[in-house]
This record gives sequence, structure tokens and C-alpha cells, in this order.
Amino acid sequence: MKYLYVYPEKCTGCRECSIACSLNKFGECNPKKAAINIVRDEFNRYEFPIVCFQCEDPVCLKFCHQNAYRIKNGIIYRDEDRCIGCRLCAVLCPYNAVATIDDEIIKCDLCDGDPKCVKYCSTGAIEYLDETDELEKRRKKMAEKFLEISEK
Amino acid sequence: MNNKKLAIVDLSKNKITIKQTPESLKKMLLGGRGLNSYYLNNMIKPGIDAFSPENVLIFGTGLLTGTLVPNSSRFNVSAKSPETGILGDSNCGGYFAAELRYAGFDRIIIIGKAKKPSFLYVSDDKIEIKDGKDYWGMDTTEVQKSLRKDLSHVEVACCGVAGENLVRFACVRTGVKNAAGRCGLGAVMGSKNLKAIAARGTQGIEVANPELMLETVKELKDYIMNSKITSILGTVGTPLLYEVSNTLGAIRTKNSQLNAWSDSLNAEVIETFVDKMISCSSCIVHCRHRNKLGGEGPEYTAVGLLGANQGIENTANVIELNNVCNELGLDISSSGTILAWVYELYEKGIIDKKITGEELRFGDFELSKKLLYDISRRKGFGDILAESTANIKRFGKNSQDYLIAVKGLPQSDPHDCRYIKAFALGIATSSRGADHLRSRPTLEIFLRLPKQVKEKIYGKGVNNDPTSYEGKEKSVYFSDNIFAAIDSLGVCKFICHGFNSPHFIDYKWMKKLIRCTTGWQFKEKDIQDIGKRIIDIERLFNNREGISRKDDTLPKRYFDDPMKLKIGKGHHIDRKEFENLLSRYYKLRDWTDNGQVKKERAKELEALA
Repeated sequence: MKYLYVYPEKCTGCRECSIACSLNKFGECNPKKAAINIVRDEFNRYEFPIVCFQCEDPVCLKFCHQNAYRIKNGIIYRDEDRCIGCRLCAVLCPYNAVATIDDEIIKCDLCDGDPKCVKYCSTGAIEYLDETDELEKRRKKMAEKFLEISEK
Repeated sequence: MNNKKLAIVDLSKNKITIKQTPESLKKMLLGGRGLNSYYLNNMIKPGIDAFSPENVLIFGTGLLTGTLVPNSSRFNVSAKSPETGILGDSNCGGYFAAELRYAGFDRIIIIGKAKKPSFLYVSDDKIEIKDGKDYWGMDTTEVQKSLRKDLSHVEVACCGVAGENLVRFACVRTGVKNAAGRCGLGAVMGSKNLKAIAARGTQGIEVANPELMLETVKELKDYIMNSKITSILGTVGTPLLYEVSNTLGAIRTKNSQLNAWSDSLNAEVIETFVDKMISCSSCIVHCRHRNKLGGEGPEYTAVGLLGANQGIENTANVIELNNVCNELGLDISSSGTILAWVYELYEKGIIDKKITGEELRFGDFELSKKLLYDISRRKGFGDILAESTANIKRFGKNSQDYLIAVKGLPQSDPHDCRYIKAFALGIATSSRGADHLRSRPTLEIFLRLPKQVKEKIYGKGVNNDPTSYEGKEKSVYFSDNIFAAIDSLGVCKFICHGFNSPHFIDYKWMKKLIRCTTGWQFKEKDIQDIGKRIIDIERLFNNREGISRKDDTLPKRYFDDPMKLKIGKGHHIDRKEFENLLSRYYKLRDWTDNGQVKKERAKELEALA
């Protein structure tokens, strides 16, 4: 199974990933209307890509009272027909990976195996790789670190 | 594509008018620099004082700014320049321009003067003039951080203390180091009591053909990433050019008394001070250094003008001076040139302690640092220095002989133009004064580039020897036109054909990018004509302010003092050859032999709407 892996140390903050995502999903250039978000602050000196971790036990799916989420081949999809736009998933996701803007709910579906964010990243800060024990360890560690920060 | 609006903000009347820029006008001038110059030319009466409320200050984004197009982060700030009294215009990267468009606007024209310190808050189709007194007096980082705290994650363009105090070379800043540096536009903000523009928006940019844009950009990205120069720029940034120029003996040193300086400022040394290379919005090159001394940079300009030109070798000192200029909101090019000028004048006894109040000398980091602070506060001798090149009057006629400036604008880049003749013509004719980013045919510096490659780009008859005058009007003409076009598209010059590489975005690529974004079917020649149109409009503005052939000249030293060191040794600009070159350039531009836009062309340009 292939997943997205992020390398913040390689991220330069340019947002080509987010803009490509919005262009692909909504036909407009808008880094805020994307399933990948770059949290950046040049004064505090950081750039960090936020992507959906495609969790094993996803909160978005678990708490959706419309059963709009389903898992297929390790990817969590949102069914637009079932979704009523309550945004509970976006509120509950501990990784802030479900975006909401303009009444849209945006959840990464890995572009059916051809993620645009990876394609337009020029530094390899986001990669789409076959999972390995090592990569998974890193990904889980990152998720834990994230939770740690958000609990602070 | 036309979902972004034009706002006219009258600070005197506290009135905001929101309009649509006519599509016909965009097709003639694209956006960014082109449209800004058009509005300046239409709205500013000749002869006004740059600090009067009549001056018009424009923040204009490019046609492609904020899109997926690589390096489309740019905007232009334009007004009549308080440093030169002619066209003032400066191009800038960062995140502000994209955010302004996401907030619904592609251009803000500011007229009048606010009664008290103010700032503009732009958010989702709305502009408010807000009380700025809490932010007045703040350095550029502090004001941006404060606005972010107060208004959530806004992107800000602001002036520093230097702008508030009307220093004639104060810059407009955004982020840690991005600056619309040239021509004193930060001081125009100060004169209007405008501390900052803060923007925040969630609205996307509509694109005519999203799929085609995805496709075209992928192709272009691969093309750019395959070039060797891209990865070099992404690793060391512009300081790379320091060594190139220094090897030639073309680094302005101690006010151009010398032409080469220390290896301690080479890119590989600068690199040891870098934490991470970062990008502007949409940029795939990432040439910005996040330095270990708390700031960003230095660029090649800072390395040369705050290093070699000050006679300073210590790398950390140079980076610190760079950070100081950025915090105070001072243009690095003018700062580094003006300081070196007065150091030499003092050495030569042309000015003395009666004016300066203290001993001046090259190579004194603490002195340069103190003077930068004093300039921003207009304190003591700093108050005099803040007047920039206008000090010729105060220092006496012969002080002019040592000033490295054209049309009142200190030379921007640290490259000594006595060796490469096309560079000299470029700074002599550029529409804002001595500046390399308007028309510098950079490829002239690559001595081993095959003749066919140069001729293919610049045209037949361009002599491959950089010290030859033959055909060099063509190199400048080509660069002037294409840079005006890329500035108007809002794309960084770094990936413009002919600037850093014989590859990159040429008219063919521009045509494709314009097509996928707007749906317009341009021919390559149409875009070249837009570049020419912009140059003519800018010249028309300057002609009306009294600029003619007499002003298209060079610092005296470039003509009369041959270079002393390295490959450049013995080289200078021959006056007669230069005059002939200038005549050929005018002819190519179809200007009169006195450097005036012809009447018919002027009429045609004034009728644009």
C-alpha cells in the first residue's frame, strides 16, 4: 500500500502542492481550498506540510453519523452523496487534515494513486511511497508528535 | 480570470472605490509593472513633489500571480520616486501578492494622505482604512508580527522606521527580507501616513483551463528543474554571482576605487551561515537563505554593497548589516552605495567633520551599522545621508564625480560595469535609473557561451566579446522587453529566459501560460510588443519629467578611470563608443536621437483604455 510521507525539513513553504490540489479538485488556484495545507511562519522559522494520515482507526469515519466515510484499500473516502456537510469530521480530526472552506469539505483521497501534491513538489518534501516498517514507524512517530503538540 | 478587482483608496477623503480593470487594458499591458506604469502615467501630473498627497502609490499584482505557475509570487510597487523624481517602480516576491489576490484584489491605487497613521486591511472583497497609531514606530518584523497577532494570519507589506521618517531610499518590506527595495517607495508610504497593507483571503483565482494549466506547469517545471543553474540557485542563491564577478574584477569595491575584493564573501562561505533555503509563494527555485543570524539573505547585492563596497571582509558582519537594513526598511543598494560614496568623499577631503560630525572610514563595520540606524532615524549626519543622491548640492559639484548613480538612483547591483559594455548601456537607459533588474543581459557574463547561442537570443550581429560595443544595443533591447513582460506577469525574473540561463521562460512559454490562465490566444510577438509598450510608457513618463539623452549616461568613473585589477584591468567605457551605442539603441526603440518617445507613439499610448 502506498501512502504520503512528509519531510518538513525539505519543505520550502511554496504551496505548489496546495495550489495543485485546489486546481485539480476545484479548478481554481487557492492554497486554502486544498487537502494539503502548509503551515508556515517565516518569522518563527518553520514550514510544515499537513496531510491526511489515512489513519487505521480514523476519527472522521468513526464519528460520522451519516456513515459518509468508508475505507477502501487503506484509503479513507468521503461519500459526497451521504455527507450533509455538518463538518464534524473536520472539527474532530486531531491532525487538522480535513479542510473546510466555502461550504466544501476537503478530504485527501490520494488522487486515485496519482497525488498532485507530490507531482508538483519540487523538493521531495512530500513523497508517495510503498509502506515499509521504517517509513511507517516514522509516520506514526510524526502523528504522535502532532498529538503531543495539539494537546499542549 | 477577471474575478480580481481594482481598488482606488483616497486616504485624504477616507474613500474607497472598487472597480474592474478593463480586459482590453489587461490585454495591452498584462498587469504588475505594465499596468502600474500605465496608471502612473495617466494619473500623475508632471512636476509634482513625490512626498505630496498628489503622488499616486500603486500595489499591483501580475497577471499570473498566485497561480500554479512557478515563481508567480510577484507584485510591483510604483509611484513617483522621492529619490530620483522620475518613475519609481520596484518588483517584489514573498507571500503578500498572492494573498492580496486571494483577498479579491489585483491592484490597489492609493492617493491622498491620511490625517493620522493608518493601515489598510484587505479581507475577502473588502478594504478598510484602519487606525495605525499602535504600529507606528515599529521595525518591519515587529509590525508584521503584531498585525498577524491582531488580525490572524495576514500577509503584510509595510514600511519601516526609515519610511516613516521619509528616508529617500526607504523600501517596502514583506516577510523577513522580501522588499520592493528601489526608488524610496517606503518613504512614499510614510508620506501618506500609511504604515502597512495587511491582506488575508480565502478566494481562489479562477483559471480558464485548469487541466491545461496542470499540464503546462508540469512540463515547465520539469524543464526548469532540469537546468543546472536551478539547483545551484536553490543551494547557494544569488551570492553565486559574487565570485563570478569578482573573478572578472568587476565587484564594486570601496566606491569603485577598486574592482575586486575578498574571497571571504564567496557563496560557499555564505552557505555556512544558512539554516535552510526557503521559497516565495509558488516558487520552485527556493533561493532565499534563512540565515543563522536571525534574518534572511544575504543576496548578492548585499554581499557586494554592504561588504566589498564598505571595505568589509567579515562574512558575519556583512550578514548583520543586511539584517539591519531589512529591519529598518532601507534599500540595501542605495544604502551601500551612499555610505561608500561619503567614505571616499571624506578620504579625499571633499567633505569634512563639519558636515559628518565624525571621522569616516572604509572597513569599519560599527560605523556603517551606526550610520544605517542614524539614517533611519534621521539623526545627525544620518539626516543628511537620508537625502541620498540629492546631496550633490550640499557636498559640492565635484562630489558628483565619485557618485555611482544614474538619474539620481544609486547603482543597484555590485557589478562594476566598466568591463561588460552591454551592462553599462543597461544601467544608463533603465527606466528607473542605475539598475540591473530592468535590462541587464546577464548572459554577457558567461564568457564561454557559444556565439550562436547569444545570437539566437539577442539577434544577429551581437559580438560575442563582452568588451565589444558591437551590437550590444540588441542585447539590452531584448532584455528590457522580456523583463518588462515577465514583471507584468508576476513571475520571478529568476526563471526568465536570458536572465540566469539561456533557457527558462521565453515568449513561447509565456504564450502557453497566458493561454491556460486566461484563455487568450496570444502570439509570441504580441507579448514582445507588450514589453515594448511598457518601456515606451515608462519613457514617456520620464520624458515628461525632463529626462532625455543627457541623462542616459554613466558615473564619471566608468568613463574616465580604468579598472585596476584582474581580467578587467585597464578597461573603461569609451565616451565616443558609448554615444554611438546609445544612438543605435534609440534607433532600435524608435525614439528620437535625443531619447524622446516620438509624438505619434505618445498619442497612441495615451489613447489606450
